[in-house]
Amino acid sequence: MVKYLSQVRPEKQRELVLLLLILLVVIFFAMMIPNYLNARLFNRVSTSVAIMAVLAIGQTLVVLTRNIDLSVGSIVGFTAYFVGQQLSHNNEIEPMVAVLMAIGVGALMGGFNGILVAYCRVPAIIVTLGTMALFRTLLVEYSDAQTVLTVNLPQWLLDFPRLNVLSHGRLHLRFVVVIMLAVVVLFQLFLRFSSFGRKLYAIGSNPEAANNAGFPTQRIVLISFLLCGALAGLTGFLFLARFGNITVVAGIGFELKSVAAVVVGGVNIFGGSGSILGATLGAILIDLLENSLIRWLQISEFWRDALLGLLILTSVATDSIFMKRIRLYWAKRHAASTS
Amino acid sequence: MDSGSAVLDVQNLSKRFDMTQALEDVSVDLKAGEIHALVGENGAGKSTLIKILTGIQQADQGEVLLQGKPVKISNAQEAQSYGIAAIFQEPMVFPDLDVAENIFISHRDRGFFVRWKKIYQDAETILEDLGIQLDVRSPASGLTLAAQQAVEIAKAISLNVKVLIMDEPTASLSSHEVSQLFSVARRLRDEGVAVLFISHRLEEVFEIADRITVFRDGHKISTNPVSEVTRESLIQEMVGREVSKFYKSHEKTVQGRRIGSIKNLTKQPIFSEINFDLHEGEILGFAGLVGSRRTDVGLAIFGVTPADSGSIEIEGKTELIHSPQEAQKLGIAYMTEDRRKLGLAMPMSITENITLASLKKYLGLLGIVESSREEQTAGEFKERLDIKTPSLTHEVGKLSGGNQQKVMFSKWLNTQPKIFILDEPTRGIDVGAKAEVHQMIRELAKQGIAILCISSDLPEVLVLSDRILVMREGRQMGILEGASANQESVMALAMGQ
Repeated sequence: MVKYLSQVRPEKQRELVLLLLILLVVIFFAMMIPNYLNARLFNRVSTSVAIMAVLAIGQTLVVLTRNIDLSVGSIVGFTAYFVGQQLSHNNEIEPMVAVLMAIGVGALMGGFNGILVAYCRVPAIIVTLGTMALFRTLLVEYSDAQTVLTVNLPQWLLDFPRLNVLSHGRLHLRFVVVIMLAVVVLFQLFLRFSSFGRKLYAIGSNPEAANNAGFPTQRIVLISFLLCGALAGLTGFLFLARFGNITVVAGIGFELKSVAAVVVGGVNIFGGSGSILGATLGAILIDLLENSLIRWLQISEFWRDALLGLLILTSVATDSIFMKRIRLYWAKRHAASTS
Repeated sequence: MDSGSAVLDVQNLSKRFDMTQALEDVSVDLKAGEIHALVGENGAGKSTLIKILTGIQQADQGEVLLQGKPVKISNAQEAQSYGIAAIFQEPMVFPDLDVAENIFISHRDRGFFVRWKKIYQDAETILEDLGIQLDVRSPASGLTLAAQQAVEIAKAISLNVKVLIMDEPTASLSSHEVSQLFSVARRLRDEGVAVLFISHRLEEVFEIADRITVFRDGHKISTNPVSEVTRESLIQEMVGREVSKFYKSHEKTVQGRRIGSIKNLTKQPIFSEINFDLHEGEILGFAGLVGSRRTDVGLAIFGVTPADSGSIEIEGKTELIHSPQEAQKLGIAYMTEDRRKLGLAMPMSITENITLASLKKYLGLLGIVESSREEQTAGEFKERLDIKTPSLTHEVGKLSGGNQQKVMFSKWLNTQPKIFILDEPTRGIDVGAKAEVHQMIRELAKQGIAILCISSDLPEVLVLSDRILVMREGRQMGILEGASANQESVMALAMGQ
């Protein structure tokens, strides 16, 4: 195993280790909880991951440029409520229009963050801490403390989370999961193969050099926030479809969970490295742990949060300590084998 | 491109920063297929010229002609499009991206999609042509400095560079790496590239250059073929400046008993084997060129970045100092070269800044700072050092450079040091204030403080110092007696002659 790992580049090892961890978590809980491994687990975790992974992908785009977006939770809440309310008032709205509406509202909010960060040069953590509160208040004002109720929503939306693309016995591949997979593949390819994607990495890696290389750094940062907002909007739509009842607290805490997924997924919080695939695996690991710990009665609710915190700390620690060693080791081995 | 024609012609360039004329009416021409060395003391204007040519800064006056046509280089991207590239002592790579990507990152014509296979192949071809062995798929962060420079050179080549500027490229390289770099530079020259080579190492300049241009105080002094200059004539031209009339002539201060002794101080790989004694009332000058690691020795003595080995003996106590707190306890003070970043709390008042390093003295009942006693001290220093300010509650950030420097002096004098390390004490202050600061340093020495004065301003070191320690690339080249030293003798040591 170790021998095989040492053949793989350190950057890819991170993703393999995550996969391994996910596998270990499944095996562990399968031994601890009777009747753990079943179709329901897959169906439940995959639908809930679909929501968090899309959000984490947006967060990844921003974190890669050495920024952070703490307002995504509020964006999710606002778009979920906004679209839900529109659909309650008018059940005739086309599904595609509803989705585009969510994405558009999210992009607007993300763009607002992006302008403040890129062009007004306010640190992202300050800007998005501010807009986190701002967007949330907007939601409270707009909603007038009312709730979007499932009964008022069109039938197609209520059916949407249970819409299957493939089924094998009781194992279902939900449509929402397919949406998530499409987003993952699209953005993974986008970051790897588009020149925009590579510039995103370059800016986070060495902002000064990116400037000297003549990149439009401000525009790129703005676009990353805009895309993050758009994906948060899409998350808002998925959230609405899954839960139906939307109150003013919708999406609270999502910003931290998305950052956690990104960091656990091996995206460097100081920008420049990491992948969409990693962030997705991070989201899967976190969601799987959460879902499993709820069913594992030995662990109290409070310890669940502590375990999650521990996971984040260890993953950051491994990033700064182990990855450096692994890279050195790899460089040495590689040098030895080529010379 | 035929060899011998001027690729880049700089005509009558001038550039001014606030107080200083960085470049004045400078003209230089670079020919295709030549390696043109640019030498000069610190602050001669070399860096400013490079920044203008690479579009980082704009000239106030003058023209740059590229192959006969005047061009306006208003940013880095434009410089690139004209075929002007620069590599620096500290390469500007993207640490997280791999080698091949770093080479091709600036290509604007590569389209929306990245063709990885082609990029890896092309990168391999370029590196192979240069005779450099590198794994094009490994991230740049793991590379040595020399390899990172190679990546930068490969990047320049991929952009069809016509003018390659190398700014102190050899400063952190081993001798083997230097010879590799030189063979690459020669290869580029033979292919018709104009190479502008900046170095403090004269032996390298003589080894590689076809022509040599000397800058001094923002002026061009000469441009000559390498065959027509000697080391002596070059050094003469570099330092041949008259000592400013504002400097007082050298007056020897009384030298007292030995209070400190530094033995074999070493911090690998930055500096090694530094040895000197410090006496009561002595001013020991630290001279050397940029990169000679003088400041690092100062920081090691003050414990900011402790040395690995060697000993620091002060008043009979021998120890290696591990932190600034330890250093202060032993009676060492250190005045930084970077007032803004490391020295003063700009938004705080003069009084608060003066007492900052010795707050313990002002703690009264329950550990509350007694501001009346603080004000008394500040008032004393205002008198003693003649700080010009409407009031002591004035924000330090609003004072002039000279007065800020006096506040910083006060702050450290208030710790009652036995040894006072001054790092560039007159940087960024005008000539009048400079003379005042010099007078102050002499006064302090008279009061029995041992002063270690690090300065890039050679005339300043010469007029102030009782003895001058000359460093070069982390090594101590010698200690000269202040009375008999002159610019040539210090420069010769600093350049390793």
